[in-house]
Amino acid sequence: MEIGTSKMPLLRTEKIKKNFGGVQALKGVDFYINQGEALALVGENGAGKSTLMKIISGVYPQGQYEGRIYLEDKLAEFSGTKDAEKSGVAIIHQELNLFPELTVAENIYLSHLPKNKWGKINYAKLFEDAGKILLELGAGFSPKDRVEDLNTGNQQMVEIAKALSLKAKILILDEPTSSLTNQEIEKLFHVLHGLRDKGMGLVYISHKLEEVFALCERVTILRDGESVTSANLKDMTEHDVISHMVGRELCELYPAKQVIESNLPIKDVAFEVRNWSAFKSTEGKYRVKDVSFQAYRGEILGFAGLMGAGRTDLLLSLFGHSKYESKGEIYIDGKHVHITHPKDAKNLGMGLVTEDRKKNGLHLEFSISENIMMAGLGMDSAFEAINYQNVGHLVETLVNKLHIKIPGPMFPVKSLSGGNQQKVAIAKWLAINPKVLFLDEPTRGIDVGAKYEIYTLLNKLVDEGVCVIIASSELPEILGICNRVIVMREGQLVATLNGASMTQEKIMQAEVGVI
Amino acid sequence: MNTKTKSLKTKSFIMQERSFPLRGFDFKTYSTLLALVGLFIILAIITKGDFVSARNFTNLTRQIAVNGILAVGMTMVILTAGIDLSVGSVVALSGIVAGLLQVKLGLSMWGISGAIISTIAGAATGMLCGAINGGLIAVFRIPPFVITLGMMVIAAGAALIFSGSQAISPMSAEFTTIAKGMLSKGMTITLGGGLAFLWLAGVVSRTRNRTQKWPALVTTLALEIVVLAFPLYAFTTDRGLPYPVAILIILAVVCIWGLKNLPFGRFIYAVGGNEEASELSGISVVKVKWPVYAIMGLLAGLSGVILTARLNSASPTIGTMMELDAIAAVVIGGTSLMGGMGTIGGSVIGAFLIGTLNNGMDLMDINSNYQMVIKGIIIIFAVWSDAKTKKKSA
Repeated sequence: MEIGTSKMPLLRTEKIKKNFGGVQALKGVDFYINQGEALALVGENGAGKSTLMKIISGVYPQGQYEGRIYLEDKLAEFSGTKDAEKSGVAIIHQELNLFPELTVAENIYLSHLPKNKWGKINYAKLFEDAGKILLELGAGFSPKDRVEDLNTGNQQMVEIAKALSLKAKILILDEPTSSLTNQEIEKLFHVLHGLRDKGMGLVYISHKLEEVFALCERVTILRDGESVTSANLKDMTEHDVISHMVGRELCELYPAKQVIESNLPIKDVAFEVRNWSAFKSTEGKYRVKDVSFQAYRGEILGFAGLMGAGRTDLLLSLFGHSKYESKGEIYIDGKHVHITHPKDAKNLGMGLVTEDRKKNGLHLEFSISENIMMAGLGMDSAFEAINYQNVGHLVETLVNKLHIKIPGPMFPVKSLSGGNQQKVAIAKWLAINPKVLFLDEPTRGIDVGAKYEIYTLLNKLVDEGVCVIIASSELPEILGICNRVIVMREGQLVATLNGASMTQEKIMQAEVGVI
Repeated sequence: MNTKTKSLKTKSFIMQERSFPLRGFDFKTYSTLLALVGLFIILAIITKGDFVSARNFTNLTRQIAVNGILAVGMTMVILTAGIDLSVGSVVALSGIVAGLLQVKLGLSMWGISGAIISTIAGAATGMLCGAINGGLIAVFRIPPFVITLGMMVIAAGAALIFSGSQAISPMSAEFTTIAKGMLSKGMTITLGGGLAFLWLAGVVSRTRNRTQKWPALVTTLALEIVVLAFPLYAFTTDRGLPYPVAILIILAVVCIWGLKNLPFGRFIYAVGGNEEASELSGISVVKVKWPVYAIMGLLAGLSGVILTARLNSASPTIGTMMELDAIAAVVIGGTSLMGGMGTIGGSVIGAFLIGTLNNGMDLMDINSNYQMVIKGIIIIFAVWSDAKTKKKSA
């Protein structure tokens, strides 16, 4: 598609400011997006990316922010998301906004279903129109499929189709690939490039820089609520982007690994599992089959595997989650223990930072202080009065130790950025001084700076004698911080790798089953 | 970035919390309280002062106490994102059990010990029903709506069976004391002084850890003084503090304290806020929900005994619709039906608002059928305005 001679941006903002309580999230951001352009918007957690996008897409309507938005050089004042959609700005959030029980077509057209003159839904037209859009996207499923039967990649396609049905000129994607497989990501990029070539403006928010370079032409980098640079990506390296994001030279993505001395006389086994199987009653099948492993003190042990390989199921079942009927033996410091409820695990000095902090890791509406105390409270007796002074000190200590950026301990956790929320989820377990700490996807959806801090913290915990076990779907992360990795496939252990044998290729091969 | 984080953090603990003007101001609770005060003033004008006479106030609070006691329990149930529909029937069944012991078993001849045994038996009956509710809800994970609906019908039936569908009377004078008795004026002043002391201590700590702007704090305190001083004046100038009101005050104070200061109290909020996250934080959801329903049952049993004592007669239909009044009080008091958010103080104020409204409408000779309609409208209005204020603050 041809781009007009007067290089007028599709959308541009002027000095956008936004406050939350006492915290200034945006300090006057100028930002623009051209027609037929894929723009990457990057920055650390809390830099203001999501806030800026929420303003542009009408989540925060006119009046809740300062500054101006121009749509094709006309002042735009959105009264809400519907209004923004009508003007051609659509956003796809990290958590998909779909109705699983409805069909693909119904999801696409839910806000503007085609009706006949009596108000009855015209299903023939609905399916036909939806089919056209899906064809345009090259989607391999039918408009009559139910959304819950689609995989995550295809559900994302439904979201994009929804935006197309609204005739969106600007499409904002917030971390769209966090739960997609590599193949699905490739497919998504193909579709997005197609849309860009047809003149759509794409704003792509991601922490994964290789994706940013693969998809986008230009990058705008936010830091602490300000736009620090906006430049063509072909003139930049990953290193440049990162140093702009963090405002300091970051030589390494991962801190130096703790080295276990291989010449130690006997390795100290901190946590051991023998013949562990877990049956998930809701699905009626075994998600973990006959797993045995040992974790040593002074190392970070990683669990790798494809989606559905059973990493999360293993950790949750070991922790005593009621979804599973498990059998097998667990040993902590050589002592045989029985865990039938997370409470038992906690009392034995175990902690679990869950995969999805919003769903089951945190109480989002509750205060930061309350969340940090959630695990440590009432461990001896539920009927012994709380000493709020001690609680306050502990919370302050942990907030300092983990460098959690908070406006105040009584603010709700949901007001924090993703990285800081994750730190609160970890602080909750540090409050009980755990001996064994499980972390499922310890850095999902958080920025490089916060990731680095969390990795450093994990190393420090290992130094202090905590047995750290992580599960991750990001191989660079596993390679970057783990001393040893166990690969799972279909609920079983397929390989244990360490030292020189721990390479991306070897892990991949084990994950997909070629060895 | 690190140095920046540090400076922000030190500041955050000292200053930023205070810079948020409405922090700590429980607008919903105080707006209900303001509505209550407003209603009192209107009724005082209409009845030319009769309504706010010490005698009428004392009688009014005695009537309201039962719903207040139920609302205390219901708040905790609703905080766990549950509901208890069986309350009214359990009130009736407990009253019948206590009445049967008094009349059929002849405990009314035993004086004070007979009264105590009957009271304990009534309360225990309620607690048993609550424990059955809680056990089924917590252990077998069946929705509370279904279980307590079943218990509502079962307890109503059992009350009719045990009583032979008839009212049972008379009770012993000792037994009726729990409803009709009064704390002596001296004791009332002592208790009032104790509460005033607790309140003052609260004022000191609130002033020290001030999270509100001064005008907000002063308004709040002035309102609280009026609301605390008037009952004290009324009870001391009339006959003293009625026992049911004393029971309500003690229960409310203990539960408010426990919800804030005991881990068990925080767990009640946690379970209602996010059950799976609570479970995965090592909180036993069963050990939270089960006791909460048992406590609700215990309070329902106690209410049944008080009602039976007040009427000097145990009736199998005595508790009809009481669960709805309790739920309404909780909702008007600002507790979220989704769980995890709310206060007992709000619910007690809600109970007083409903009770005052009932009494006021009686005084104004409004037909009881119209009273129901008016009450319904007020409940809907309360929830609507609650949803609106929440949206605004979000």
